[in-house]
Amino acid sequence: MSKTLKGITLKGSAELVAEFFSFGINSILYQRGIYPAETFTRVTQYDMSLHLTTDSKLKNYLTNVITQLKEWLFDCTVQKLVVVITCLETNEVLERWQFDIECDKAAKESGAPREKSIKAIQEEIRSVIRQVTATVTFLPLLETACAFDLLIYTDKDLQVPEQWEESGPQLIDQSEEVRLRSFTTSIHKVNSMVAYKRTNSM
Amino acid sequence: MDDMEDDTTIFSTLKSFKSLISCPDRSLLETEPAYGRSDLQKLYTSRVEAKEAAERVRSHTSLLQLTQEKQQMVLSHKRARIELEKEANSSSRDLQREIDRNRELLMKIRRLEEREEKANQALSEQMENNKALKRNLEELHKKANEKDSKLAEADQMISELKDETRRLSQQIQIQESKFSTQNLEIQALQEQLDVQRKKFQDISQRYQNLQSSHSTNTESELKIKELERRLVLQEQDAVIVKNMKSEVARLPELGREMKRLREENSFLRETKENSSLLKEETEGLRRKLERMERVMEEKLKVELEKEKLEHELQAWENIGQATGLNIRKPEDLSREVIQIQQRELNLKQQNYTLNSSVRSVEKARTELLPEIAQLRAKAQEEQKKRENQDSLVRRLQKRVLLLTKERDGMRAILESYDSELATSEYSPQLMLRVKEAEDMLQKVQTHNTDMETQLFKAQEEAGTIKLQAQMVISELEALKEQQMSNAEKTTLVTAEEICSLREKIEELEAERQRLEEQNNILEMRLERHNLQGDYDPVKTKVVHFQMNPTSIAKQQRAEEVDQLRVECQRLRERLRKIEASGGMTTDDTTLIIPPSQEILDLRKQMESAELKNQRLKEVFQKKIQEFRTACYVLTGYQIDITVENQYRLTSVYAEHMEDSLLFKSTGPMGSGSMQLLETDFSRTLTGLVDLHLFHQKSIPVFLSAVTIELFSRQTVT
Repeated sequence: MSKTLKGITLKGSAELVAEFFSFGINSILYQRGIYPAETFTRVTQYDMSLHLTTDSKLKNYLTNVITQLKEWLFDCTVQKLVVVITCLETNEVLERWQFDIECDKAAKESGAPREKSIKAIQEEIRSVIRQVTATVTFLPLLETACAFDLLIYTDKDLQVPEQWEESGPQLIDQSEEVRLRSFTTSIHKVNSMVAYKRTNSM
Repeated sequence: MDDMEDDTTIFSTLKSFKSLISCPDRSLLETEPAYGRSDLQKLYTSRVEAKEAAERVRSHTSLLQLTQEKQQMVLSHKRARIELEKEANSSSRDLQREIDRNRELLMKIRRLEEREEKANQALSEQMENNKALKRNLEELHKKANEKDSKLAEADQMISELKDETRRLSQQIQIQESKFSTQNLEIQALQEQLDVQRKKFQDISQRYQNLQSSHSTNTESELKIKELERRLVLQEQDAVIVKNMKSEVARLPELGREMKRLREENSFLRETKENSSLLKEETEGLRRKLERMERVMEEKLKVELEKEKLEHELQAWENIGQATGLNIRKPEDLSREVIQIQQRELNLKQQNYTLNSSVRSVEKARTELLPEIAQLRAKAQEEQKKRENQDSLVRRLQKRVLLLTKERDGMRAILESYDSELATSEYSPQLMLRVKEAEDMLQKVQTHNTDMETQLFKAQEEAGTIKLQAQMVISELEALKEQQMSNAEKTTLVTAEEICSLREKIEELEAERQRLEEQNNILEMRLERHNLQGDYDPVKTKVVHFQMNPTSIAKQQRAEEVDQLRVECQRLRERLRKIEASGGMTTDDTTLIIPPSQEILDLRKQMESAELKNQRLKEVFQKKIQEFRTACYVLTGYQIDITVENQYRLTSVYAEHMEDSLLFKSTGPMGSGSMQLLETDFSRTLTGLVDLHLFHQKSIPVFLSAVTIELFSRQTVT
């Protein structure tokens, strides 16, 4: 890791953000019950106990996406990461967890590490993940079988890698949005929000 | 008749022919002498007439021949018809005879057929009889065989029974011997029994004694308990009495204590009053203390203030020395101040007056400025007019000069013309020339005036432009002067400009706020869209992994659905096959139906059970029927159960079918107590009822009496 003790470099920031996404996505999958709870183990990260999947196919998929995302974070070409939860029976999008990424391009040019303690960043990440866990209380129940997908919003001129393809934004029809906390590594700022399909029983 | 008529016609025609023949002869003959005209003609005519007659005759003959032939034909026809009729009659007769024969034959055939059928029926009946007889024979044979077998069995049974009887007799003998031994034993046992009974009696007596003693024991125990209780109570009472005694002993001491306490009480009350007084005093003293402390503080403050005031006084006194205004008392200071204030007021007033005067002067100036401008304009206009007038004057003078010159010229010409006129008479041409010249002159004059008017207009325009320029210059100068004056003044900025500027500022502010609100709204909308995931397709694009879980899940689901559909179809076909085959499951081993062996066994058991049931029912019915018929025959009454617990008896010798006695079963089931119910028939038997049921209380006697009565009635009637 090239996170120097003195400050955060662009590469270090990209790694921190990618790590956050990897744990965050696992938490979302566990909390929303996309995969059965017994396929998750507990690990300690950011001074809290988080869930991590043991399903090999899912792990493979996540590592592929996260490594590609890390590259893009380093190039500052990624704008958003979205976790889309779709109902398999009706093919409707039920939830969208959207993470906006703002990159300070000046860091790419200068290369000098920024002053921000890792503890503070971890504290912020911890609060974000706690909030994600807490939002489950007011989100509508996912009663049908669901599957998830990861969408990445990038710059238009980016070259699409081999195993990737372009897709639509997969927006929710009649959604309610809730803005959650954000955290920043002083190079990358990540804003999180969740949009869910309005249920008619309300 | 026809022949006759034909004959008559023939004769008539013959007559006419003859007449004709005779006539032409006569005519021929007669005509010769009578008329002496041209003979040729007469010959010709006569020949013609002869020819005609010959033709007529020929035709007549042909006619006659034809009629004859016709008659012959008719005759032959008739004969043929008659013959045909005869033949027809004969043939019809033959036909009828044939028909009759046919009918007879058919009748014969039918009769023969009937006989045949009867013979067949008889044959079949005979066959059936034969078969029946054969069957009977067989049955009889079987019965005979059965009887033989039964006989054999019976013989066997008899032999067996005989053996058994022998055995049993032997057993009886043994039993008898045993019986005798046992009797002896019995006697011995009975003696023992007697002994035992005596013992039993003794024991029972003792037992009774024991019981009585027990009872006395219990009574005494009860008594003891009671006495103990009383003892306990008395002890308690004794204890209480002791306590009372001790308490009573304490009484005088208590009295003394009471006195002492009362004295103390009074003393304490006094002291209480004193203490309350003292408390009040202390409170008063405390308050005083507080006040004194406050007073002390105030005193300190006052002293401080005093010092301050002294300082100030000294300062004030020093001011007087410093300013040198002959000030020793504050009154002087105030006076000075008042004077200064008054001076200030005066100065202000002067200021205001000056300002107002300045303003008025300014206003006058501003008013005057446009007047000045106007006057200047007027002056310029006047000047211009003057110039125009001068130019006009000059022009006019020029014109006058020109006109005078023209006049002189014209005069000269006229004089010359006059002089010339006197000499010659070239008037028309000369007049023409004169006219031409005059016309030319007029044209020139008009041209001149046009030019002059144009010049005049141009000059006027130039003058107006000059005026405008000068006015503008004057305004500019005025503005410059105003600006200069504005720069000097500070308080006289025109309020109108300020107001207008303020209005402008307010408008701009309102617009700015409106724009800010719009901006906010748009930003919120953008934020909302951003939250929902919208993006600008120009700058961003959305990518995702091809092998992502959603697409994989969708594929799997589609495959599952297909698989389920295939399975569904397969199961449906299997079902159809099963329904078609009617439940035979021997081919399909994978079906979840229990093994067929059990089913068959169970079915067999069921069938056997049902058969048993049916047989039992039949047997019961037969037996019941037999029993009822036996009862009827033996007792003379047919007993029916009409309703639960009601029995209807109908006698053999009943006179009517409806005559019946009704008995009702009372009491518990099976006890057999019956009561007679009233029916029409029983009313006729009241005597018997009274005698046998009320007095003798026997139903069988009653029933037999009724039977005898009815029988006697029947035999009598």
